[in-house]
This record gives sequence, structure tokens and C-alpha cells, in this order.
Amino acid sequence: MSFREEFHQGRTRVKWRAMDAIIDAKERLPFGSFGGSDRFGYVLISVGVGLVSFLAVGMLLLLWYSFLTFDTIEIFVYEYTLANWVRLGETTAFHTVFSRTLLYSAAVTVGSVGLAIPYAYLVVRTDRTLFRYVLLFGLFVPFFTGVIIRAYGWLIILGKTGLVNWLLASVGVGTVKFIGTPMAMVLGLLQYLLPFAVLMLTPAIASIDPDLERAAKNCGANQWETFRHVVLPLARPGITAATIVTFTLSMANYSIPDLLGGTNSFVANFIYDKIFGTLNYPFAAVLCTVLVIVASVFVFTIFKVYGTGTLGAEVDDR
Amino acid sequence: MSDLVRRFGGDHPYLTAFALVELVFLALPSLIIFVVSFGSDQIISFPPTDPSITWYASLLQDPEYVQPFVNSVLVATFCTALSIPIGVMTALGLNRYDIRFEHGVQIYLLLPFTVPLVVSGFILLILFGRLGWIGDLWAVGLALTIINIPFMIWSVSSSVNAFDPTLEDAAQSLGAEEIQTFRYVTLPALMPGIISGSLLMFMLALNEFVVSLIITTTATETLPVAIYGAIRGNISPQIAAVSSVYVIIAVVAIVVADRLVGLDRFLHS
Repeated sequence: MSFREEFHQGRTRVKWRAMDAIIDAKERLPFGSFGGSDRFGYVLISVGVGLVSFLAVGMLLLLWYSFLTFDTIEIFVYEYTLANWVRLGETTAFHTVFSRTLLYSAAVTVGSVGLAIPYAYLVVRTDRTLFRYVLLFGLFVPFFTGVIIRAYGWLIILGKTGLVNWLLASVGVGTVKFIGTPMAMVLGLLQYLLPFAVLMLTPAIASIDPDLERAAKNCGANQWETFRHVVLPLARPGITAATIVTFTLSMANYSIPDLLGGTNSFVANFIYDKIFGTLNYPFAAVLCTVLVIVASVFVFTIFKVYGTGTLGAEVDDR
Repeated sequence: MSDLVRRFGGDHPYLTAFALVELVFLALPSLIIFVVSFGSDQIISFPPTDPSITWYASLLQDPEYVQPFVNSVLVATFCTALSIPIGVMTALGLNRYDIRFEHGVQIYLLLPFTVPLVVSGFILLILFGRLGWIGDLWAVGLALTIINIPFMIWSVSSSVNAFDPTLEDAAQSLGAEEIQTFRYVTLPALMPGIISGSLLMFMLALNEFVVSLIITTTATETLPVAIYGAIRGNISPQIAAVSSVYVIIAVVAIVVADRLVGLDRFLHS
């Protein structure tokens, strides 16, 4: 027997011994059989549920903090007050920031879902392998490159000595200030959200039977009519999911308003400032609670009106 | 251009042209970083003069980036390693066993996506602060596992659903013990889901920003937080060189993902 064979046999023997030992140990456990009992299912999910409970417990903690008294030295003291909630109504700066966040989020949600539909459609339907690969690459490179890196990319493109101003200078136009304008922020947000929207849309579009489109064309519909009356209605679960995901991501965005938006800050920037600027934890807790409530109301309204979309399909057991 | 569109586009010329514009829009911020990183000027300017790798060379000696880079890799590895068993257990438990209030549990497990990231960050700052975990690197990894775990559960769930449970019965009727069945039948069948989930978890953890910004200290600072700090200071092309490293990692990850499980898998998870 060659050395190699012997080595291989030895390894197999060790592996099986280890397996026997594990099985032996298992049999001493009090569960009895694993597969049969449904109680074991609860054991399996308990770790995942426990992990997520950090956030559930934290939400309750935030609610509690929102009724505590702010103190400039101790951060907060354990005396209950409604002052933080009253302050919410009085802080007009927050109202401005909040309505700005809602407005921009709504706009970029419509924009990114609108831009994502043709892209997702082509990813699913194109029969050219190379083109499809290029589209997927264009989708995943930004998805796998963090938001900070991409915001930095926009700073280079739109900056004072950046790409756009260089191009403008070469046609004789003077330097234009883009950074800090709403336009730069909208571009940044759209580019951030577009990959998410496409990823939410593709499963829905992939589930549309291509024969339906051919049927529409046979009945005399042109390409636009087919798209409008066949593809769009059938892609609705995907559109719903994409709307929810992009809107909630945009609502909570911190880095793009901070780096590209100048003074046009979002709720997240406002909250961050309360946490680290003035260390006002109770008021920050109020703001967080409001943000969560508004985001949840939005999601549940969409769920009620349009169904759960592909988000529901994904959590449903098939 | 029109020729290119016709060659690529086939049935949908206008749609294709539109998608190509979007492609440029999507890729430009990443690509431009590359171009700039090879400049040798002290400030960012267009077009870069004197191509050089000065800024890349300077990175290796700069503790400002080396430590955060190591931190980021450690955090992402910890996060991935932690999420694999949790993802497999949760996906198997939910899809294979009769769980009461299953729908409710599934909605509960989506909590990391429904709670805005800045709120999650604040929550974890308070909780970890009370537990005395702030300043520990593993706690950063735990935080990123909490906020991204649904990706892993989805990814493994799709493999669980695609797997025929009668194969397990077959293995057992051939005399395999339960654990043997799991190790040699179930686990290999779940591998595609585990691999794509792990890649997602690793890449997202490597890039995570807001929660990291809130809960890291100087010692546990991750690379995106360090880059953010540098951008707020001055936008030297050195940042472009660090960022290019990220773009390269992203490209490598995509190629690896495509080779191992195919990019299509990621579209459905």
C-alpha cells in the first residue's frame, strides 16, 4: 500500500471515529430524536430570534429613555417627564428637516424605482450573455462598494476641480458649485438606491411568463403597449417591494446628505447630532421613535393597499 | 453608438440605450476613484497628471488606514462566521418544522430591515454601553451580524426550499444516523445558499458605515469610518487609493460569486 493510500485511509478512519463520538454524545442528550419533534424547531430558531431581540429590546429601551429627564452632566436622570415629547412639537428645525427627508425620499423612491424597471427588465430578458453579464456587473459593483466610497466618487465627479467642472471648463463655462446642492444629493441618493431597487424587481419580472408578452404582441400591441399593459401590472409585487426598500433606506440615510447635501441634512444627521453633539439621549430617543413610527406606518400602508409584494413572497413558505 | 446599441440591444433598442446610460451612472463613481488614485498631485484635479502609484505606496506606511483595515477584515470575518450557523439553524427551523406563529416569527426576523440603521446604531450604542461591550471589536462584529442577518436567513432558506427532504429519508433508510445525514446530505445541499449568504454578509460588513460610525471607538474604528473621517478632513488622492482597494475587493467578490454559485443566485435572494 502506498503512503498516500495509507494516509487517506487513516484520515477516513479518524473522520468516522469523530463522527461516532459526536453521535454518541448526541444520544446522551435529553431531546431524543431530532427530526421527529417539532419542539426542536423552536430550539433551531431560538438563536436567530434571540439575536434580533437585541433590536426589539432596544426599541422598548428607547421608548423608556424618551420619558427620562435630560441632564447636561449625567446625560439623563431617572425622573419621568413629558418634556422631550413637548420639545418635539416645539422644535421647528426638526420639522423642516423631517419634511425635507420625506420629500426627498419620496422623490428619489419614484426616481430610482422608475429607473430600475427598464434595467431589471433587461437583466431578466436579454438573450445576449455578454450584455447581461455587463449589466449584472454594473449592478453588483456599486452594491458591494459601500456608500461612503460612492459618495467620495461623487465628490470627485462634482467637486470644484472634479470631472464635470473640467468638462465644463473645456467648453468655456466657468466653475459651477455642485457639492452642497440638492442636485448632488439627489444624484448620490439615486445611485445609492438604484441597485437595491433593481434587486427587488428582478424576481418579480423573472416570474412573468414571456409567452404573455408574445401573446400581447400577436394581438397587435406595440412594444410600449406590451410593457405598459402586461409587464408593469405583473411586476407590481416587485414594484411594491422596491418602493418599500428604497423609501426606508432613503429615510434613514446619513452619509449622502452629510457629504453631498451640505446644509440639506436628513433626520439621521439630526439624530446623530443630538446623540454626539449635545449628548441629549432622551430627545434623540424621541426622534428615533418618531422615525420608526413614520417608517412603519408607511410600510404598513403600502402592505395594506398593495399587498406585501415580493417581500411577502420571500418570507412565505413556498 | 447606434451600431453598438443594435448589436447589444436586439429586441429592445431604446431600452438598451437607456440601460447603458444607467450603467455609466452606476459605474462612474467607482471608476473615477481608480483614475484619480493614480495621480501624483496633492489635491484632486482633472485630468490627473503624472500617473504614479505614490499614493498606494504611502498607504502601507500609514497607520491611519492599516489598523482600520485590519479591524474591518476581522469584523467582517467574525460576522460571517457567526451568521452561518445562525442562518442555517433559523432557515431549517422555519422551513422544516411546524412552528406556531410562523408568519409572526418571520416578520419579527425582518426587524433589522425595518428599524432604520441610525436607530439600530443608537439602540446598540445604549445596549452595548450598558453591557460594557463598547470598545470591543467582537461587539462591532455582533452588531453587524444583527443588522444583516436577514440576508443570510433568506439566502439559506432558498436552498432549504429547493432541497428535496426525501433525500434525507433515503439516507436514513440506508442506515445513516441523523447527524451523518445532516453532514453528508443536508449540508452539501445547502452549500450554495450558505456561500452566497456568506459572501453577502462579508461584503456588507466590510462596507457597513452608519452603525459602525456610532458604536466604534478610536481603537475599534473600521475602514469606512476612517475614510469618512479623512474625507471630512481633506480630500487628498490618498483616500482615492484606499477606496480603490474597496472597488478591487468588490470586483474580486463578484467574480468569485459568479464562479462559485453564479450571479443569478444573488438576484433571487
